Amino acid sequence: MKCAVLVCSGLDKPLGSLAREVALCAAGQAECEIVCPVLLSNSPGRYEAVLKDLPLAVVDGCGTRCATKLATQLELKITRRMLLPEAVKELGETFEDSLRPGPKAQELALKLALQLVADDEEQEPAPELEAVLFPEPVDLLKVTHGKFVFPIPAEGYFFNENDCWVQVVGSRARIGISDYMQQSLTDITFFEAPDVGRAIAQFDDAGAVESAKAVFDVISPVSGKIVAVNPVLDDTPELINEQPYTGGWLVELELADFDADRELLLTAEEYAVKVKQKAAEASA
Amino acid sequence: MSDATFMGVSREKIGWAPTIDYSKCNFCMECDDFCPHKVFERQDGEVKLVVANAKNCVVFCRACSKTCGPDAITFPSKPETIAAIKKIREEEGEAQ
Repeated sequence: MKCAVLVCSGLDKPLGSLAREVALCAAGQAECEIVCPVLLSNSPGRYEAVLKDLPLAVVDGCGTRCATKLATQLELKITRRMLLPEAVKELGETFEDSLRPGPKAQELALKLALQLVADDEEQEPAPELEAVLFPEPVDLLKVTHGKFVFPIPAEGYFFNENDCWVQVVGSRARIGISDYMQQSLTDITFFEAPDVGRAIAQFDDAGAVESAKAVFDVISPVSGKIVAVNPVLDDTPELINEQPYTGGWLVELELADFDADRELLLTAEEYAVKVKQKAAEASA
Repeated sequence: MSDATFMGVSREKIGWAPTIDYSKCNFCMECDDFCPHKVFERQDGEVKLVVANAKNCVVFCRACSKTCGPDAITFPSKPETIAAIKKIREEEGEAQ
């Protein structure tokens, strides 16, 4: 995939140097255009044509995510994202603690670049996945703290203490983050979705929600097999802010054992008590 | 003693917190910059970063380990932590 690569410019850190190598490899392998974050920040116009024509891939060297934050500030749509420490780990590799990438680091950079520019795999149509209607909540409990209001669906949803909800219809479930959490994160810019087809246990990670302010691990309230991720979040992650309990759902699962999972979940009333405590602690 | 609880169990009784492997840690401080809960604390001297506030760590969150380049942060097993929480809940339920 030919793309524009906005890359970390952490020249004083080994991962910054690795990020630069990744960008160079991506440019060599797929004729990608490298976007310098410093120049983009100072003169966005210099990259206007490139960013208009090509999908944007962002490579962050560390959790500070300067490149992602810059793209967000400039309201650029991010098509691909790579956080290097995570990507290196996923490959089962380690990186050299050096600012001058040696042959091993260059080899690693090439692997990462190929992953970054790989064409989208053909999505197999989900077989026998019957559409399930997840009803919208009828009544909302409203927890208030000062000027803030945190709505919670009164019926049909369960919660864990990690601020994630589950809505169950038959053997299927949708999960998402609560209104309290979306307000804590502020403007959400990205949902890093888990792989469809993966089986997860209760309290396993089910992706991560990112805002300019923080990264939030989605902790699944239920166990099961991931059968879908919300397809509209790629283009409109802000739906998680706007409709956290409905249109902003994150992941759909085929449940493994909801009766057992239920024991460790909270009802709306119980979660409301927790939200009140959390809001009070956060402002203390 | 803190009255914080998680899933009905005193947070003090849940052993969920990061462990730093000092043979790998290069004290880049990315984890400390990342964590909004002040779990880590910077220090003077040879060991520049410690897990100072383990009970502030959000149970089941491992997000700081994803920021760690040298892969120096580990967490307890989730299934074992869940089993321990369930056991305490049962014991305390029986005691009431």
